[in-house]
Amino acid sequence: MSLFDLFKPRSPEAQAQAQAQQAASAQRQADITESLHTGAVPAATRARLEGARNGRLPWMATLTPAELMVARTHGLKPIASISATCWMHYGWSWTEGHSQGWEKALWRLREEAKAAGANAVVDVKMRTVPLAIEASMDFTLVGTAVRVDGLPPSSDPIVATVPMLEFTKLLEADVVPTGIAVGAHYEWMTDWRGMARQTWMGNSESQVLSQFWETVRQQAHAGLRQSARAQGNGVLAHVNFSQMFEREGKDKQPKQYLGRHIVIATTVDARRGLPFPHEIKMVVDLHAGATPLTGTQRHHQSYASNDAEGAI
Amino acid sequence: MPSDIPAHARERLKGLRSSVSSTGVFTSDFSVNEFLLVRKAGFEPIGLCVGTCVYHVGIQYGSWSKNQELEVLSKAMYHARELAMSRMRAEATAMGADGIVGVKLTIKRLEWDEHLLEFIAIGTGVVHGEGHKGFRAHDGGPFTSDLTGQDFWSLLHSGYRPVEMVMGSCVYHVAHRGVISGLASAGRNVELENFTSAMYEAREIAIERMQVEAAAAKAEGVVGVDMHEGSHGWQTHVIEFFAIGTAVLPLAQEIAPEKIADPIMVLSVND
Repeated sequence: MSLFDLFKPRSPEAQAQAQAQQAASAQRQADITESLHTGAVPAATRARLEGARNGRLPWMATLTPAELMVARTHGLKPIASISATCWMHYGWSWTEGHSQGWEKALWRLREEAKAAGANAVVDVKMRTVPLAIEASMDFTLVGTAVRVDGLPPSSDPIVATVPMLEFTKLLEADVVPTGIAVGAHYEWMTDWRGMARQTWMGNSESQVLSQFWETVRQQAHAGLRQSARAQGNGVLAHVNFSQMFEREGKDKQPKQYLGRHIVIATTVDARRGLPFPHEIKMVVDLHAGATPLTGTQRHHQSYASNDAEGAI
Repeated sequence: MPSDIPAHARERLKGLRSSVSSTGVFTSDFSVNEFLLVRKAGFEPIGLCVGTCVYHVGIQYGSWSKNQELEVLSKAMYHARELAMSRMRAEATAMGADGIVGVKLTIKRLEWDEHLLEFIAIGTGVVHGEGHKGFRAHDGGPFTSDLTGQDFWSLLHSGYRPVEMVMGSCVYHVAHRGVISGLASAGRNVELENFTSAMYEAREIAIERMQVEAAAAKAEGVVGVDMHEGSHGWQTHVIEFFAIGTAVLPLAQEIAPEKIADPIMVLSVND
């Protein structure tokens, strides 16, 4: 089709087709919006997942061929790659919006997994499109729904944020990765007595700020444990994010400090006392690359540009 | 259904949840591999231990033409790290940990005040699975170590155990050169001996301090020593030398060197 074709009058059939397409899209949008309210999986997605579930449609997986091999040796069969999104606007709290956003997305992902008749979702990744639209962000989870040979579909599928190989390693050690836990907390501190201001020129700890920081962090971690408790008995944390800001007080009011902390983790349901069943052999890879046997850091530093500030 | 998935894991995959565990929730920042290896080494993670300290670093200027340690800055860097580390260790003691693995120490400058630095120490508290207390530090408290879970496993299998994360710091002012010496070396390659000696002295002080800490911890040696050179927003000519490592002791049941397996050589064909 050339650019000029766009301006040609279209045939009645083509016009009717375009109208039908628009109507279908509107219908789908309405159904998606409706599903977001009821918590159901949108009809089109449900139809696709059910097709994959009973083999009418081909299976889909985010796995690489090597991962597929590992899946097969462990009796795992991919069903469909599934996803869930929640686009949140931070009306009252940026920090706690993160916790709400991920929780909602996680819930929706589990619903899709159930619709696919899965026992687990593996290789779950957290995604966000880089569009900074007003005060909002999308919380998206993508992963592959799998079933375990010989098991009935689960009414409570697990969500594993780890790739297939790690998933099977964990299972063999009787550790089940179950989901994602988020702890988020923020607090404002008004420095009424000017305790955070340092006038003395010497070394001293800013105890007010240290303590303030401790409180924020402890609250966030308490939230993490709370969020994890519903899903398992432990977490492997992979995101620890913290920030502190100072704000000038208005109309001669004292300064204010904002501290916020977000911690995100994979929850696990682990049995104690059952060690990893494989024997561990030390291997040195003769291929160039980081191994503790040849050093894990850059060997020569002289001609590299300086290390970024912040590292120690 | 392959038999290599244990029964409990299989139940959970069916959607059956075991009753809420009595042990509570453990937290850690281990990766999957670290988690599996720390357990393989006979330890269980129990909780993330964190220590923080917001520190106001005093002001000190080196005299223009003199090589010298800036004690105020050295002390600040040392004291603040010490506070963060000891708070982290106190958290570990409170939860009954035998040690802390994978300690990461970071420094952040707070943007509104150039003299405020935030020090954070974070690591995972672990206990020995069979309640063996022999892994604790000489004072009966938890050992500390910046080794990863993988390195922790390797250290134990090489016959040693971590005792304490040790460090030494020295903030040093390197003298500026005078105009005359600048002129004298114009057009010639010459060693700037006072710069060289500044490096020597500062490095020596930092390493010495680390060694003193290791000796105080009654350690036999220090593994994984790393020297950092860094500047935290100071004037030019001011540099911090920072030495860090894990002090170690032989295991109570020493492993004979011939019992330690040689690593296997492989060549991966990736990339």
